[in-house]
Amino acid sequence: MKKFLIIFLALLTLSGCAPREEKASETIFCMDTVMDIQIWGQDAQTALKQVKTLLQELEATWSANDGKSFLAALNRGEVKPNAEQQALLDRAEELSRYTGGAFDPKLLSLMQLWGFASEIYHVPDEAEIKKVMKDGRWDLGALIKGYAAERIVQLLEPLKVSRAVMNLGGNVQTYGNKPDGTAWRVAIQNPNGGDPVGMVSVEGSEAVVTSGNYQRYFIGDDGKRYHHILDPQTGAPADNELSSVTVLCADGAKADALSTALFVMGLEKGSAFWRQNPGFEVVFVTQTGEVYATEGVNLSHCEFEVLSRED
Amino acid sequence: MKTKTWIALIAGLLIICLFLSVWIFLPGKDAGYAQVWSEGKLLYTLDLRVDRVVTVATDTGRNVITVKDGRIGVTEADCPDGYCMQRGFCSSGPQIVCLPNRLVIRFIGQQEADGITG
Repeated sequence: MKKFLIIFLALLTLSGCAPREEKASETIFCMDTVMDIQIWGQDAQTALKQVKTLLQELEATWSANDGKSFLAALNRGEVKPNAEQQALLDRAEELSRYTGGAFDPKLLSLMQLWGFASEIYHVPDEAEIKKVMKDGRWDLGALIKGYAAERIVQLLEPLKVSRAVMNLGGNVQTYGNKPDGTAWRVAIQNPNGGDPVGMVSVEGSEAVVTSGNYQRYFIGDDGKRYHHILDPQTGAPADNELSSVTVLCADGAKADALSTALFVMGLEKGSAFWRQNPGFEVVFVTQTGEVYATEGVNLSHCEFEVLSRED
Repeated sequence: MKTKTWIALIAGLLIICLFLSVWIFLPGKDAGYAQVWSEGKLLYTLDLRVDRVVTVATDTGRNVITVKDGRIGVTEADCPDGYCMQRGFCSSGPQIVCLPNRLVIRFIGQQEADGITG
């Protein structure tokens, strides 16, 4: 009997609670979007403060529309980038080459022409588009949230942070693992509103980024819908069968640039690009509501067709 | 104390622990509520079964939020773009955001996802 008692008592100690983990969370309005940050661990509060400072710094440096930013000054030809800034600019150029130009970090004049910066919209004609198309003014809007997520992960690594999950305006970044061992679950927003399209499960640190034609758009005088993902080749909103593209990748900036690039490419060229290039996975959602997921995606809660490497 | 008393005591403790852990770890089944956040602060948690109108006015702007027939929406706003009103009335799905006025309406009871991308 005594033995049983000892075992019981031992088991009781096991059921005791582990020391409570600190959690810090906050909603931040930054980079023209809403950001939700949740961090767990001993250093959670410190980490949150540092994350906020970093986001504000990145916004002050890289905002294309804030005349006081470094990028605006660079576009006016007033400043030279430092080594860190140059590294990001180089990376943007490299991602542009990698995607065959489908991601283009120099579309500021086009974005302004369409009115996506000022929200005073205008459907330009071809002559107007041609005039500004190759003027080379930087706009890292399609990359900067992903880059921010990446920098946050680097910031968290040396700290006592067990896990974190961030939503930087629709760019989800996970860090670490949940204590119950289950995967992070990221819902994909339904382009037509209502319940999410489906749920992707990811492990550890991963960027899950979506580009969609429903995020920013306006209705022209002709009654047509014009969205903000411009095709660098035509200078007009990418016009294909897709309504959204979600990219899963360990590298935040790459995930961000790829979601835009694959949206521009469309389903066929986009899936061919995935077959030729390792290191990321994709979920395509078409305008008619069909879902295609590459074979490495763990997607649930929806019906979908799997794209395999072999095809 | 007698062994039996010990056993009873431990069994009792175990049962209490079991209930406590179930209570702590069960996901909240509070679907049908919406949280209204302004400038990153929670202002209201609203039961969507109760029709009402609340006004959120801050230095950045003013939004009128209406709960009606189990759904919630922004019905008046002084923001320049009016995106928050375009969403209409919702009872679930992604958060309703009024970026210029720093207002966010979140639906709770859908906590199975850690994040939503889009």
